[in-house]
Amino acid sequence: MDKYKHFLAANVLNENRIVNYRTLSRALKVHANLAKQMLYDFHQRENAKKVGSVHATYLIAGISKADTTAHVNGVSSSNETGSFMQSSPFPSSAPEPEEVEEQIVTTTVMLAKEEGLEDAKNQFEEIRSIHIYSLAPSPIKDFEVLATCNEDVDKAYASEDPLQTLHVYGVIKNPNVKRRARRGPPPPNAAAAQPIAKPAVKPSTTAKDAASKEESSKAKDETESKPAKQKEDESTKRSAAKPAAPKREKSDLFKSFANAKTKTKTEASAPKPQEPKEPEDEPMKDVSEDEPEEDFDPMASKQASDEARKQRDQRAAQLAEMMDQEDEPMEDAPSPGVEEQEEEQEAPALEKSPEKQEPEKREAGVSVTNGRRRGKRKVMKRKTIKDEEGYMVTREEPVWESFSEDEPEPKKPRAPIVATPSTTKGRKGGPKGQGNIMSFFSKK
Amino acid sequence: MTVLENASFLLQAPGDDCPSLERTRSSYNPLRTFELPKGGQKHYQQQYADMYFVRLAQLKPAVERIAEEAWDDFEIAGEKARRVDRVLDVRQGELCWVVGTVYMDMPLKPNILDDLEKEHWIVAPPPREKFISNGQDSIMLEDESGRLRLAGTFLTSRMLVTGCIVAVMGTENADGEFEVIDSRLPDLARQPERWERDEAALALAGRKVKGERQPAGKIALVSGLEIGGKDASESLQLELLKEFLLGEASSPDEQTRVAGISRLIIAGNSLANASPIPSREEFAAMKKASRKYGYDPSMYNASPSEHLDAFLGGLLPSIPVTLLPGASDPANVALPQQALHPALFPQSRSYTKLPTEVSDEPAWFDSVTNPWEGDVDGWRLLGTGGQPVDDVFKYVHSDNRLDMMESILRWRLNAPTAPDTLWSYPFQDGDPHVIKDCPHVYFVGNQPRFETRVIEGTAAQQVRLIALPKFCETGVLVLLHAETLAIECVKFEIFRKHEQA
Repeated sequence: MDKYKHFLAANVLNENRIVNYRTLSRALKVHANLAKQMLYDFHQRENAKKVGSVHATYLIAGISKADTTAHVNGVSSSNETGSFMQSSPFPSSAPEPEEVEEQIVTTTVMLAKEEGLEDAKNQFEEIRSIHIYSLAPSPIKDFEVLATCNEDVDKAYASEDPLQTLHVYGVIKNPNVKRRARRGPPPPNAAAAQPIAKPAVKPSTTAKDAASKEESSKAKDETESKPAKQKEDESTKRSAAKPAAPKREKSDLFKSFANAKTKTKTEASAPKPQEPKEPEDEPMKDVSEDEPEEDFDPMASKQASDEARKQRDQRAAQLAEMMDQEDEPMEDAPSPGVEEQEEEQEAPALEKSPEKQEPEKREAGVSVTNGRRRGKRKVMKRKTIKDEEGYMVTREEPVWESFSEDEPEPKKPRAPIVATPSTTKGRKGGPKGQGNIMSFFSKK
Repeated sequence: MTVLENASFLLQAPGDDCPSLERTRSSYNPLRTFELPKGGQKHYQQQYADMYFVRLAQLKPAVERIAEEAWDDFEIAGEKARRVDRVLDVRQGELCWVVGTVYMDMPLKPNILDDLEKEHWIVAPPPREKFISNGQDSIMLEDESGRLRLAGTFLTSRMLVTGCIVAVMGTENADGEFEVIDSRLPDLARQPERWERDEAALALAGRKVKGERQPAGKIALVSGLEIGGKDASESLQLELLKEFLLGEASSPDEQTRVAGISRLIIAGNSLANASPIPSREEFAAMKKASRKYGYDPSMYNASPSEHLDAFLGGLLPSIPVTLLPGASDPANVALPQQALHPALFPQSRSYTKLPTEVSDEPAWFDSVTNPWEGDVDGWRLLGTGGQPVDDVFKYVHSDNRLDMMESILRWRLNAPTAPDTLWSYPFQDGDPHVIKDCPHVYFVGNQPRFETRVIEGTAAQQVRLIALPKFCETGVLVLLHAETLAIECVKFEIFRKHEQA
């Protein structure tokens, strides 16, 4: 329970850092409200020992005096300036000033320094909550430095899965959250941040600081679970590595490079599945800590890397498919440069009729015949005609029009086969599609 | 100053562990009214005239119905007001009424020739706040057949802008001007019932319409974060906003209230200077710079968008977000602005839908169009990043943004001044800016100050108007109670009195 004292003493007193409740709650893995109380306790104790050794900022929430008065004025004045009348008579929309005294509650959340706390409190009509926001060894000159605390928190704990850990810190849980598995490369700034083995506040840690923190995290490890005692450094490493389940920046960084490599390869070569013959990829996979459990088993890691490659191939195929879909409008006009793919592409290209985007579609009598939907639907169409006097008249008229469109299903299995050549074709042949943009910029 | 009982709960030694809270569910069903066709389906060769024709065709029946009701037995000196089909059919001295599109002829409106002229000036005059000039403006009423100049003192008391569809009654005077006695607007459109669309979808799916619903929470609305605008000074305010919404800041009592916030809607201008079209001066300066192909870090600063991404990425695990682009965001400039691309959000995009995904399930992080409409907790919401209201502001004498918002709803035109002075996609077969369903809540981002009002229509429609201020200037977050449509504000401030210079 006393580890917060160690942490705060080390960071605030020794290292001259600013610590806010979020830093503390994440470092010690405690609820934010508990962290606020810890900051208060520490502040009391230290200042009792020596006055002015720790300076606090407070976060006050409540009803501000200024708001209650200013707001009433705001409402009435806005009604007075409403000099415009509407062209239709509106029974109740043009309210008399005294009618709309809609009292709007404004909660003010104010950050104030210890020195200005009493003045800040006097701004309030009613204080609903007050707590210490941050502690610093000296009075804060500029509030903006406080923002860096949160930036550091974001950087240091970027590897944690927020859905798993955030409620520990008192963030409101949301059971309905929808997130898809991450497939893209990690964010660049997260990748730039070093994977942190200990709950560090800042990436740059001195040896002394690190020691104190190692101690704290070790202590925690022992309290929450009682594992067989392992080597010291490994146990600390594990405890830090555990919450970071799905994404680890370091591994992802390597993986993204590996991805890019295989992707270009699958595009360049034939569409058949790749033989596992890239030796330069293997050590990278081993280094990456994607599956921490299997790291020490060479067989398992090979299996895992094979599996990962299969996934990558799949992903490349999906990507190619996606590109194919974007390419489709181009396929309507058969280009001269393509020969081998003609047979494959001709059929879908002819079948496709550019579907018009119409508002208010109402479908009726849809029939599905050999993979295509046909039918009639009601469409509101703009019709501009000349009347008997020669004037233009625009009307919206409901029109029944027949339509047919491809079923999306039967296309899918074929897509990857067509897709890969089509991307290579664009690169090699170059009579259509995008050429090299550099040629545009070269001097002529 | 009163201090509530539990306020100092956190000013004591660490106690027991605190319970974790659970956020209220948000029912969310967006509409795709303003999504443009993708890629090759999008054309820019069309004439803008079609937009006006379609608009008139769509709104004329509604105006005619209202005008007929009002002026059916209107008589002056024994003469009955007669309905005239075309503006050119108006005969001199005959009492009649006619429907058409308003066109404001204002010499101070932007003119392409002025733009060219600018190059020959040493110092160009600053852009105008309003287009109004005394005595030189004239109001016309037009349809496909021709134009009619409107006159009379009656019009000066009415808010009119280019593009809105009105019915006017009066006579043509000797100067060939139409002397207006009265006018009518389309007024509020039909308002759907609460939960109407969700229930219809359930009924279509063959399932039983849900009788019991959990009480809805609050919807948080914010606009004008303007990240990367001035300096780092806003970032602390933004952090406070994030901590507040996550339920980390303040006391357990307050946190319980925050848990009732079920969704955050950001109404435009999340980034400060990311608009893709540089001003003329910037463009000239850019040309002088070295022409280098490829990534040039001096030309592009990634940190604002990274900052926004981190902000959203921090919020998304706990609260769903709907993001509208605004005038200064990196989206297309012409309305409707299309959704901000997920590539801008490397961290947050795992909460979006895949571009290939075709399911109708809305995304947790929904990057949407501006304007946008959709059903949240059963209510129909319509919102913009603020451009239409800002543009209407230039046409009228009033400074009251709520009046303008009310007029926009009563004109049934989300962006009346597009495509005249507001850039717009050239729609052909139907103008999506025509408001088909009257919303329950109409919010407009990036307005000078927070204002709200409830307006009512003739068919018992009730609309809550909300003008959202810029967060970066005011620190205001607006909370909308989804059960009562009542409003609450949260203001984030930093007490700087004791700050050393």
